[in-house]
Amino acid sequence: MAIVKATKTPVRPAPISETSVFGWLQKNLFSSAFNTALTLFTLFVIYLTVSGVYGWGFVDATFEAENRRECYDNSLTGACWAGVIDWFDNIFYGRYPREEIWRINFGGLLLVLWMAPLWMSRVKGKILVGASVVVFYPFLAGYLFAGGDKGLFMQIMVSGAIVAFAINMANAVVSVLRNQGLDAFVIQSLGKNTAPDKTQRNILLLLTAVTFVAAFLWQLSWTATGVSWTKWGGLFLTLVISGIGIASALPGGIILALGRRSKLPIVRILSTGFIEVFRSVPLITVLFMATTMFPLFMPEGFVLNKLVQVIIAVVLFNACYMAETVRAGLQAIPKGQFEGAHTIGLGYWGTMGLIIMPQALKHMIPNIVGSFIGLLKDTTLVSIIGLFDILGMLRSISKDVPWLGLHKEPLVFGAILFFIICFAMSKYSRHLEVKLSAGRKH
Amino acid sequence: MKLGTRLASAAVLAIVASSGATVATAQSTLEIVKERGHLRCQVGNPSPGYYNLDSDGNWYGLDVSVCQAVASAIFGDKAKLEIQSVSTQARFTALANGESDMLSRTATWTMTRDTQLGIDFLSPNFYDGQGFTVRADSGINSAMELAGAKVCVTTGTTTELNLTDFSRVNDLGISNVTFEDYNVRDDTYLNGGCDAVTGDKSSMAGNIASFPVPSDHKILPETLSKEPLASAVRHGDSAWRDIVQWSIFALINAEELGITQANVDDMKANSTNPNVRRMLGTEGNLNEGLGLDADWAYNIIKNVGNYGEIYETYMGTGPLGIGIERAGSLNALWTDGGLMYSPPMR
Repeated sequence: MAIVKATKTPVRPAPISETSVFGWLQKNLFSSAFNTALTLFTLFVIYLTVSGVYGWGFVDATFEAENRRECYDNSLTGACWAGVIDWFDNIFYGRYPREEIWRINFGGLLLVLWMAPLWMSRVKGKILVGASVVVFYPFLAGYLFAGGDKGLFMQIMVSGAIVAFAINMANAVVSVLRNQGLDAFVIQSLGKNTAPDKTQRNILLLLTAVTFVAAFLWQLSWTATGVSWTKWGGLFLTLVISGIGIASALPGGIILALGRRSKLPIVRILSTGFIEVFRSVPLITVLFMATTMFPLFMPEGFVLNKLVQVIIAVVLFNACYMAETVRAGLQAIPKGQFEGAHTIGLGYWGTMGLIIMPQALKHMIPNIVGSFIGLLKDTTLVSIIGLFDILGMLRSISKDVPWLGLHKEPLVFGAILFFIICFAMSKYSRHLEVKLSAGRKH
Repeated sequence: MKLGTRLASAAVLAIVASSGATVATAQSTLEIVKERGHLRCQVGNPSPGYYNLDSDGNWYGLDVSVCQAVASAIFGDKAKLEIQSVSTQARFTALANGESDMLSRTATWTMTRDTQLGIDFLSPNFYDGQGFTVRADSGINSAMELAGAKVCVTTGTTTELNLTDFSRVNDLGISNVTFEDYNVRDDTYLNGGCDAVTGDKSSMAGNIASFPVPSDHKILPETLSKEPLASAVRHGDSAWRDIVQWSIFALINAEELGITQANVDDMKANSTNPNVRRMLGTEGNLNEGLGLDADWAYNIIKNVGNYGEIYETYMGTGPLGIGIERAGSLNALWTDGGLMYSPPMR
């Protein structure tokens, strides 16, 4: 006879120790006398830390005071946040003229608005949006921040940026409202959607040209007051340097990495040499070379903009690191992908641009974002060569006579600020990874 | 990294020093400055009393005032000035390579620097010296009683070497506790990590003022070293050197003659004292040798005040001052027994 049950055994609920909070606690924290002691000890340490920080940073802290002596009068042991608050403008904008600070905020707002369509799923033509940010935004923002006289080139680029921004915004609105691209919408509302492609293209080009002329004439009517780069500082300067570094390190790195893997000996040797030289030198040495040695080789009295020198140094340095990251990504692509691309008749650039890079870059996202975060933090080295980036400003608070000796609070504030920025970048990269490798969880 | 930067800056300095003589000056510094329209004056990372940033992003301090004085002498406008903040490692290189027109920062005038780095020091605008801070209740009244003490000191400066020398010469067996950052040094001292702190007396006064209870600490009377803090210019342009030097002398001379920011207009219009009239340009031709306007000294005093006023504002007891007593110190006027002395302006 067989031991067979005719009915299905009823499903029993999981034991209480597996489902309830107490079960979890018992299993993970209090499973033995030693673990119980360890748990209690850890809880005690956490309590000490949290209550200490809370007491120092909030309970005993002073948020409003004229100088550090007033903070001491309030509490000898609490934090003196008043100094940090008093220095907010310096920390965020550096020595930028206070009545012109809106230009920095406006520049930041423009960037957010410009990039926003990239995250909207219904927007058409995202590649064009991305390209317009890279090509036009730096000029518009650069002029907005630096001001002064616009040369003809700058006038053209600023007008181009205005046109690109306007089209981008209109495109986003039309895409969201009507779920079609701006070009299709314009053609349709002109009733030309049955006209030949060539006519349609000419109409669009004509409209763009008209907008450009209008923007050009409009921008002639105003100029922004010049602000010397020596007044740039704080978080603004940090973001400018690292922003430019991040935006140009990836393309630079891709070019260098391809150069290093090239079959052309001269290209390969030059790329390898360049990468190795820059990678074997500390960033601070490159910065010193760029700012102090470089002027020695120039004619007397010739002083190149120090900020430009620093940015060039940062870009080159990070392009070399990025090149190795990209090369690692390229190595990971199986040979079959190259061969497959060749089989369907793609040339070198076609293979790289359409088959290899899209796969390689996806693999590299964690490393790339790691480099970007590193770059953002490395930028604080420029405070050593006399630029008042955010770290330079935070350290200067303790030297300002009303706040003499106040150095812990600014650094704590800076740490929190950097954590927020870096953590946001890190989270975004995770999001990007998941999105790009949807359905391929490793 | 620290060692790397030192090596790099040493190498740079060697190159500058060896090539210093061959850098031919096609254009005088004054011409370059006038053509550019503003003066480039080098200071360092903010240092209380000498050069600081305020919360609105403006520079202030004793050395900044010297920069403003030179800008006033040349342009009649103290705002035609770019303050450059340069790290300690790169300071003399930045002057020698033409990035800065002059240097006005807490640089000690030493023979090596004056003779080997291609720069010229001018007469000091502040005489500092190294001293000790101890707790008032420690019972120590003289540095000679510091036998066996632990002393907090910032590393990489002459301060540390002076301390070691002092301990050896007097056989005190002091142990050095070294720090990179003087804020950390002071925190360690305040938390009982060492018995005394050593540093320049000027900065000690400011630091004590920032301690929770300043009256719990005192500075010992001994001075370990001579620290004449002076401005400097590039070697080889004597005309430019004269301009900076006499701008500084004008500050001191004005104090001696009783010319202040407030009464300079009145003095210029009504004074019968020939010394005042010569200095303010209503008589004689003092300006011609400098190649500046007759109003050069008037503009200095009008824009930044005399040396005594500057001292009171930034080093003395004013709201932005760090509270260093001037009377009886080396920084008093020579008529009060100090070392602040200007050659006659005639």
